[in-house]
Amino acid sequence: MKSLKKFLVLLLSVFMVLGLAGCSGKGEESGSKGIDNMKNVKIGVLVADATGAEALAFRSYYENYIQKQYNVTFMYSDELADAAAESSAIDNFIANNCKAIISFASADRPAQIRKCAENKVYYAVATGTLSDDEYAEFKDNEYYVGAIGPDLYTEFQAGYNMAKYYLDQGKTKFAIFGGATPYYVDMHIYRTAGMLVAMCEAGNGDYNGAKDFGSMIGTIYGMNCQLTPAQIGSVELVSYVGGYDFDDAWFGKLAEAANNPNVEVLLAVGSGLDTFAAFKRPDQALGTVDSYTADAVKAMEAGTLNYLAGKFSASIGPIFMATVSAVQGKPIRTANGEALALSQGYWVATSAEEANNYFTVDSSTTDPAYTKAMLDKLYGASYDDFAKFVGAYSYEEIQNLKK
Amino acid sequence: MKKQHIKDMIFRIAPIVGLLILFALFMVFAVIKDINIPYSMKNILNQSVIVIVVATGAIFIYTLGSFDISLGANMCVSALIGAMAYNRTGSVLVMLGACVLCAVLISLVCSVLASVFHLPVFVTTIAMLSLLNAGVLMLIGANGTGDIVQVPADAVSAINTVEFKLLVLCLYLAVCIFVFNFLKLGREEKFVGGNPECARLTGLNNSRLAILAFIMAGIGVGLGSFLTITYAPTLSRNTASSVGMDVIISIVFGGMPVSGGARSKIYSAVVGALSMTLLSQIMLMLNLNSGISQMVKAIIFILVVYISMSDNKKNNLPR
Repeated sequence: MKSLKKFLVLLLSVFMVLGLAGCSGKGEESGSKGIDNMKNVKIGVLVADATGAEALAFRSYYENYIQKQYNVTFMYSDELADAAAESSAIDNFIANNCKAIISFASADRPAQIRKCAENKVYYAVATGTLSDDEYAEFKDNEYYVGAIGPDLYTEFQAGYNMAKYYLDQGKTKFAIFGGATPYYVDMHIYRTAGMLVAMCEAGNGDYNGAKDFGSMIGTIYGMNCQLTPAQIGSVELVSYVGGYDFDDAWFGKLAEAANNPNVEVLLAVGSGLDTFAAFKRPDQALGTVDSYTADAVKAMEAGTLNYLAGKFSASIGPIFMATVSAVQGKPIRTANGEALALSQGYWVATSAEEANNYFTVDSSTTDPAYTKAMLDKLYGASYDDFAKFVGAYSYEEIQNLKK
Repeated sequence: MKKQHIKDMIFRIAPIVGLLILFALFMVFAVIKDINIPYSMKNILNQSVIVIVVATGAIFIYTLGSFDISLGANMCVSALIGAMAYNRTGSVLVMLGACVLCAVLISLVCSVLASVFHLPVFVTTIAMLSLLNAGVLMLIGANGTGDIVQVPADAVSAINTVEFKLLVLCLYLAVCIFVFNFLKLGREEKFVGGNPECARLTGLNNSRLAILAFIMAGIGVGLGSFLTITYAPTLSRNTASSVGMDVIISIVFGGMPVSGGARSKIYSAVVGALSMTLLSQIMLMLNLNSGISQMVKAIIFILVVYISMSDNKKNNLPR
């Protein structure tokens, strides 16, 4: 009887393992033949976030649209927590004959690029850019394809525009959620700096002596990225919360910031719906940099969210084409033969209708913002044509490009 | 009697057979999928070696029937201290010494606290985990280089080779095998793990054994943190965050009884870590998404524990 029980457990486990493997198995040759009936290109994708709304939207675009349109196979890494995990994931991709790697992970980008170049694997940054020093080091490396995404000044501008939107409405009392600012994440530091500079301009004051782009960044780093509330001329930063601790104390701080009767506007450098939204009073406004999800649209319809600056998921289409072009011997480089370094900004919605329009396009797996017909034009394109295409990123411009 | 003997032997060799089956499966898929086999082999060694070193040391703790939940955090702190020591002195040897010394000291604090307050060792490791996590943030903040601490890649590139890692692994493994299998310490630890009360009544000093076990584990953690720096010289608060769990899974996969005792084997870490890495590589070749891979691993993990416990239940000495 006991042996039978053990046998059944074993049998059940084997079936479960095989079943799971079978359910998700995927032929390498799936998808229609793409440009020039190209040979299947295997591309590794490094991800630092595997479950966030933005990360899922990007993944959906690659797996549910691009992979079906082109003869490519995407191999995704697990969620990568540190530089060692990134290095291991790259080793895995190289071992599996990936010809290129597109990276959403940034614990140690120089190490990633070096390892790829040593192994003759093309490397591209999916969203974001390299620092000036890093770009100077790798721009001439033939295996570094480049980066397309919001550069740091665009991040600064995103924060600035969001705060200015409310300042122009006469709001003067703010609370900021600084996201990963305490962890020295540049993207969030620059967005926060943008918000503070907008407040300095509107309030005719300064934040710990800083009032413009350069000095504000210096001040934030000088404070070890641990910001504090302050009176900024006639504008007041009433509360500030940073970090992603997700413990009771952290949620308590968020609640305290939102519940402060003086706070009129809640600004989040990211994850506004996961942080401030739950504690927001009906008379307060909430703005965030986030992605276009069904929840975000619902929040805008309900009035919980009033301002949303989001990356659109298809924004990673051009870097895919640049990568494939490089793999197939048609690299897209500047006139000096340097790698791509192109900035692309956010779609901004201030009404439910706008958010819904953006979400409809952004979530489509049949007619996304950048379709195959549009991307095909980028294959082996000249740098100027490529840059022009990437630069026309607003919703309206993209709709015009589609026509 | 003979039937029981055969059954015992099957259970004893099952992890090794499992490893061989996984290796065979890996090779089959590698050929079918046209994988770069030489690079894959190097990759498997690279990915296993740190876990093997740390887990081999941890076996001394597991043999006592205890476990240390703070191994990953200890490794992170030790690596940070090692990196900072290198940045001050420019010496790789100083870095190695700092890593090992720091890890052993942290392990010692754990075990000595447990002895002084007569607490189960794993309780002090839970407290130590919180302390070390706070320590990581303080060290990174004190270093003043943002949220990372870096050793120049050039400084460690010469020793970031499979040959060097294998050398470190073999030396440490040889010492551990000798201590565990040929010295009194190994036998006493198995006795304490099998039945602590009985061991105490025969005059064994459980606290002393716990301290020695933690010293051995600390050396492994120190070497692991040194190898981590050589592999990825950019350290952050997330460095080695998955090592603690990888060590537990590897040890169990390698056939180590979760309760420690006489059936503990020093080679469990090697077998388990290699099996885990091979399993991960097979999943990757099949391009299974992360969630599915985790589920498959979880099912196999439960299966392994179930089989090993069902075999041990009736063989345990009464406690």
